[in-house]
Amino acid sequence: MKTGLTRLLPYVLILLVTLALVWIDKPFWIQLAIGVAITAITALAWDILSRTGQVSLGSAAFFGIGSYTLAIFEPLIGLTLAWVAVVVVCALAATLLGLLTLRLRRMYFAIATLGFALSMQVLVVVFPDWTGGSGGIAPPVLADGDPRWQLGLIGLLLLAAVALSDTLLGLRFRPAFFMIRTKPELAAASGVPVVHMKIFAFIVSGVLIGLAGACYGGLYGYVVPTDVFTTNWSVLPLAIATLGGMDTTIGPLLGAIVLKALEEVARSVIGGTGYQVVYGAVIILFVIGMPQGIVGLLRKAGKLAGRRTATGEKKKERERHA
Amino acid sequence: MRDTASLSPARRSAQQSGGAILAVEDLTVAFGGLKALDGVSLSIAAGEITGLIGPNGSGKSTLVNTVSGQLPVRGGRISLRGGDVTGRRPDRIVRAGMARTYQIPRVPPTLTVEEVLSVPLLYAGRDRHRLPGLGDAAAIAAFCGLGPLFRRYCGDLSVTDLRRLEIARALACAPDLLLLDEAMAGLSHEDSVEVMGLIRNVHEQGISIVIIEHLMRVITTLCHRVVVLNNGRLLAEGTPATVLADQAVREAYLGKGFAS
Repeated sequence: MKTGLTRLLPYVLILLVTLALVWIDKPFWIQLAIGVAITAITALAWDILSRTGQVSLGSAAFFGIGSYTLAIFEPLIGLTLAWVAVVVVCALAATLLGLLTLRLRRMYFAIATLGFALSMQVLVVVFPDWTGGSGGIAPPVLADGDPRWQLGLIGLLLLAAVALSDTLLGLRFRPAFFMIRTKPELAAASGVPVVHMKIFAFIVSGVLIGLAGACYGGLYGYVVPTDVFTTNWSVLPLAIATLGGMDTTIGPLLGAIVLKALEEVARSVIGGTGYQVVYGAVIILFVIGMPQGIVGLLRKAGKLAGRRTATGEKKKERERHA
Repeated sequence: MRDTASLSPARRSAQQSGGAILAVEDLTVAFGGLKALDGVSLSIAAGEITGLIGPNGSGKSTLVNTVSGQLPVRGGRISLRGGDVTGRRPDRIVRAGMARTYQIPRVPPTLTVEEVLSVPLLYAGRDRHRLPGLGDAAAIAAFCGLGPLFRRYCGDLSVTDLRRLEIARALACAPDLLLLDEAMAGLSHEDSVEVMGLIRNVHEQGISIVIIEHLMRVITTLCHRVVVLNNGRLLAEGTPATVLADQAVREAYLGKGFAS
């Protein structure tokens, strides 16, 4: 069973790192941390959805909808209401997509969500009067362009995502979500309103990714469709959650840190665009070597260490008796 | 006249609703052109253990899946304690007081026994004071012989324990009526005797039970009444002794040549 201390670890980690980086104020590290935090939020959101058996390849749709909603609504209704609009529009899109894909299982669900993300990009280009077309759009700049405040705000959003993920791993939701994933009929036969719960997970996930996308768009105050609606933002959350360890909160966090670190190392050692190939190969090796992700590996190590101390204690006891 | 207060809850509700806890009228269920149930009418008496038997493909499982809300109804009416539940969602039917078990219980292997039982306790929304002594997950697990396995992962349980867990999960829905879908299939003789004891204990809590079963030994020892389906129609109903002596039932089960 988890102790209170390990439960608090992610919160303490995020708070300390964010505050430390804001204090030190080194641009490279702040940009890196912002990148890690945004991908970590999308990975947590993807994981929340996958706990109900919905393996999505459509994260990019919500990422893009988030940034575009903020950009489109800010001149019309002001900044505060534009952020509310991000939540509402993403929730509506999640409900719609969730209802449409309700009966699809596994692979078919993944393909349908991927199709949704791809068609969103086309939609943006087709309606240039609203969206600026392929030329892009200018969302309001986050925190007046001060990177330290940007990191602070995105750090807060990450904390919220972590708290949501933890709540959904509690007794109220985790068993019901897992039952829906393994055998939805069994969940329904236990009184769980399966459709409501699946849509609920979809809304939580979609809104989180949308808010992350809106933050991303606000980093420089300028986005083009190929920035946010790319397959990259659909695959990255899945890769990070799988790499870090699914069905956990700490997994997507660790996954985001490791993946970003790998990317930076590969970029500085190899450089050019060739680094992406090496980086991809390393991810594949990681996934093959750690099917349960980093969290699974740590658990195994923890068990081994536990067994060692247990046998050590037994030995001591035997010596004492002798 | 007996004092009503001394009766078990199910018997009391039976008196109120005129004896039937579940009534099915002219129920028709079809897959494409094939009628799996063809105008079946029957009623399940409150407070009793009813056996539901019939050859393979006779419509037993279809009947259970339909009354529990998992299959769409083409025609007819299903009522639980007098209230219409035709076409209702499965989770609503559980909340109305009818729980079911699955033949092959596929529970998430990474959940503990405690966590599985927490789902109906949290979501079935039933009054737990109705079943004194079965108010929480630990009590239900102990009642079903799962006490020592309370914190174990489902992936580590034996087939027999998974069957027990499936009954425990249904029991955690605090049902008035429990439908058991082949709870004994694939168990050894000793294990099936134990599960039969458990079913009897569940019945003593005042819960009405319907058992789908192939083993005649189970039907004759446990059931007050038996309902026989054949080709999606009602073939016979009555006490185990009269039904099993029935010529039509013997023919349906054994074929015409053997029955005489």
